[in-house]
Amino acid sequence: MAVTEERPLELEASEAPEVVEEPMGVFTRPRGGRGWRSWVTTVDHKKIGVMYGAVALFFLVVGGVEGLLIRVQLATPSSSPDELLMSAETYNQMFTMHAVTMIFLVVMPLAAAFANYLLPLQIGARDVAFPRLNALSFWLFLFGGLFLNSSWLLGGGPDGGWFMYAPNSSVVFSPSHGVDFFALGLIIAGVASLISAINLAITVINMRAPGMTLMKMPMFTWMVLVTQLLLIFALPVITVALFLLMFDRLFGANFFNPSAGGDALLWEHLFWIFGHPEVYIIVLPAFGIVSEVVPTFSRKPIFGYPFMVFSGIAIGFMGWGVWAHHMFASGIGPVSVAAFSFATMFIAVPTGVKILNWLATMYGGRLRFTTPMLFAIGLVAMFTIGGLSGVTHSIAPADTQQTDTYYIVGHFHYVLFGGGVMGLFAGLYFWWPKVFGYKLSEAWGKWNFWVMLIGFNLTFGPMHILGLQGMSRRIATYSEGYGFNFWNMVATIGSFILAVGVLLFFINIWVSALRQRRHPVDVGPDPWDARSLEWMIPSPPPEHNFDEIPTVTELDEFWYRKYGHDEQGRLVRIAKTEDVVQKGDRAGVHLPSPSYWPIVLAFGLPWIAYGLIFNLWFAVFGAACVIAGAFGWAMEPPDDPEAHRHPAGPEADAPEGKSADVEGEGAPVG
Amino acid sequence: MTRQGEMSYPRHKRNRWLALGLGGLVLLLITACSNSGRPLTTLDPQGPESTKIQDLAGPVFIVAGVIFICVEFGVLFIVSRFRRRNTDVDGVDEPEQVHGNFRLEIVWTLIPTLILCGIAVFTAQTIFALEEVQEDALPVEVIGQQWWWEFRYDFDDDGEPDIISANQLVIPAGRQIDLSIRSNDVIHSFWIPALNGKKDAVPGRTHSLLIQANEPGVYEGQCTEFCGISHGYMQMQVRAVPAAEFEAWKQNQLAPPVEPTSSAELAGYEIFKAQCARCHQVNGIDTEAEGYSNTGPTPDPDYGADQVANNAPNLTHLMSRSTFAGSMFDLYADTGDGVCPVVSDSPTAEEQHSAGCTPNLVDLESWLRDPPAMKPMAPDGNRGMPNLGLSEEQVSALIAYLTILE
Repeated sequence: MAVTEERPLELEASEAPEVVEEPMGVFTRPRGGRGWRSWVTTVDHKKIGVMYGAVALFFLVVGGVEGLLIRVQLATPSSSPDELLMSAETYNQMFTMHAVTMIFLVVMPLAAAFANYLLPLQIGARDVAFPRLNALSFWLFLFGGLFLNSSWLLGGGPDGGWFMYAPNSSVVFSPSHGVDFFALGLIIAGVASLISAINLAITVINMRAPGMTLMKMPMFTWMVLVTQLLLIFALPVITVALFLLMFDRLFGANFFNPSAGGDALLWEHLFWIFGHPEVYIIVLPAFGIVSEVVPTFSRKPIFGYPFMVFSGIAIGFMGWGVWAHHMFASGIGPVSVAAFSFATMFIAVPTGVKILNWLATMYGGRLRFTTPMLFAIGLVAMFTIGGLSGVTHSIAPADTQQTDTYYIVGHFHYVLFGGGVMGLFAGLYFWWPKVFGYKLSEAWGKWNFWVMLIGFNLTFGPMHILGLQGMSRRIATYSEGYGFNFWNMVATIGSFILAVGVLLFFINIWVSALRQRRHPVDVGPDPWDARSLEWMIPSPPPEHNFDEIPTVTELDEFWYRKYGHDEQGRLVRIAKTEDVVQKGDRAGVHLPSPSYWPIVLAFGLPWIAYGLIFNLWFAVFGAACVIAGAFGWAMEPPDDPEAHRHPAGPEADAPEGKSADVEGEGAPVG
Repeated sequence: MTRQGEMSYPRHKRNRWLALGLGGLVLLLITACSNSGRPLTTLDPQGPESTKIQDLAGPVFIVAGVIFICVEFGVLFIVSRFRRRNTDVDGVDEPEQVHGNFRLEIVWTLIPTLILCGIAVFTAQTIFALEEVQEDALPVEVIGQQWWWEFRYDFDDDGEPDIISANQLVIPAGRQIDLSIRSNDVIHSFWIPALNGKKDAVPGRTHSLLIQANEPGVYEGQCTEFCGISHGYMQMQVRAVPAAEFEAWKQNQLAPPVEPTSSAELAGYEIFKAQCARCHQVNGIDTEAEGYSNTGPTPDPDYGADQVANNAPNLTHLMSRSTFAGSMFDLYADTGDGVCPVVSDSPTAEEQHSAGCTPNLVDLESWLRDPPAMKPMAPDGNRGMPNLGLSEEQVSALIAYLTILE
């Protein structure tokens, strides 16, 4: 792997700048500068992380509005289709896009934002293994997301549900282009996730600071690693399935067409072999975040670190053996039903272990109820509900009553929102000061938490009852006389409270940023008295992350540089934080140069997709972008020969440790 | 961060709010658990299969509920007991640094494992018990299509259906029914919550589902696999009747359709042949003679997903059912308790009338005027019933004909 390659990238102090060798490639690389150009061409994992987060929060608003529209539609029963806010056709597109947006464009990229930003910081690296590929991932995700949403303007969104069961997804039954947008958009977003997963997994495996063995990695890093491995194996499955679907629709292949010998159940299997690990892909990063937040604000180490690690790994493994629990009613036969039923039950064990270990971490602690801690506790309390309702439908016979009813909708929102989003919000509040140099307001944050918690429970709690009382999912409306009226109204009111809760978050950003601008407060590197390496460097971190890569001897390395134990196991401060943290001095650090090519390459893909749908000339244009991007990428010199002049001036006698190099991205590979 | 002043909320006021909240919660729970007025509820099993499911799920819900309460109270306890007090001095009042407790963690890994092992045993038993077909089970074929259900009875077991009906499945109470479920187009799911869990109708496959109703009655259902634009409007019913009534119903279904006599009925019959017989069947109408090539009561069983099912509910004995259009609308006015139509071996309009069963002309008329206005359809794609642009005279003539099809 090129990453570990040692190359003397610094000039000898005696060497005059004028005798720099000619660059190897034909294109010069952009200069790091400021303004929008620096964002478009950046390969800095921190900027990319921030962009992931910003785009994800934008799509959160989009997906949230879609969710609200669904709730408004279902608030009251209807007696005829023309009473409805949305026609059945629009409604089907709405719930499809709500799910696709929330899963692929909100929760996954928000987790990717944290992973991108924090992983190198937590393991003491200067960037990810392949910085340009990292930029490519982000742009592909962004363009894939925009491409998917452009379907609204180009003949209507996909209307088959995010699960897109065949043959309802075929041209006969879904003649608009919506499903094509779905297949092609998710292929593009999937490529983005796959590249990013490989990149991050390699980063964790190869680029940890000296001394950081696997069992000294922070929990968040661990959970992200498990997630990336899940992604590496899950995404090819869905990508293949989407390709088959695309071939069925665009070129008349018959993979899923029963009348031509295809198999409708094949799609279900392929989809859920991806789709169930996907659930863990969504919640594991959030679990990782909570495992960082809870110890910090309990002022205790995580309880049973090895158990937490191995339960995460166990979830990752067992997550592959449970997909058919989405198919208990699909006629797969009693033996397979029983097998998947058991597998699903027992995946509750490692999940339960996690809950209990978080509780044990808090037990005996000195809990500080900061906003991140509130969200983390919110996750523990809410995910428990999602986990338990999950156990109730691991018993397959009961699931045949519950599946495809609102009970399931309630269940998975407790998992994905109560488990995923709560954790991600904990992370937003926790790492906000690290990323932006100021804390979000605690007062607004608490309002944010409580309103969200109440709104969330009012929205999704009643859905369990509705489901048990027989309300099916994905119905555009319901009639009077089924007893669904009351709880639907409650859920709709709850959804607006929830929306206010999310809105409070955005207000908080605005208020806090404004306050910081008027009365700047230096939060310092370590505002929470936290535990892992990212808190050892200034907030916001300098571009080069660490002045000197720390040598790790402990789990929670940073904490143990500040604190020790006395004979009774009591905490004793051994060093002042100011003396432990790094100052952000860049002397002697070499960083990868920005690049134009990732965005050029990524820009081509949606055009190829438009070409497949509308007019092949678009595809020709898109392919030209891709080829130009790949060519420019390959021909680009490994770094800007002028770069050393700008940032830190002549760096004489750089100490050994400072020559750590992340540019090691081998040119033909990266 | 909490300041000291915020903590002084008077206790008795807090208690009053607590009492109010708890009272409200109890009321809500009572409302939540009531099954009356909830025809689709899964919590009120009416047959042996659904009872087996309930007997399995009930205890699991209780176990889950107990664990839920323990964990949530654990959270509340820990949160209140171990909060950092304002008097705590950072760096001095710090907690004991516990890294874990291997034995404890093994225990709380094993306990849920053991609980789940117990549940697994009962689950396996139930899974296989739900597959046990009784010897006298009555086989019925169920065919899902966009957006209605067809039911076929083959009494003489010759492979040819003897009765083809739609939307309302009539069964003898107290006898197990062995449903063979398939689909003519996309995936649907057959679900009568009071009688059993759901089973998908997958094109190209035949799935078995057993149902049995303990008592006569009407049990409602809803298609539960998303099947396109009108998925929410795809319902069905099971009407369980005593064995003798079932026999009478069967004899009536086997009989040829009522012949039109009055001029209005005859006019309606002609319109039916010209307009409706393209997709709908009334036994005895020779569709080929009418110039329609493909329709018939028995579409090709391998009818595939690339061919939209061009057939529509068989209307030979339309008025012997109590609903139409995917069980979305009542065929009889005010059939609230499901007693209309009266089941007998040769029912007449007069007989129904004297029993208080009169056709629901309001819905029937608006349906014939513009079906997509009452139920979303994709008629351009040949899916669902199009607006035929019938005149008012044609609508009333058609209704005159259709309502004699007892």
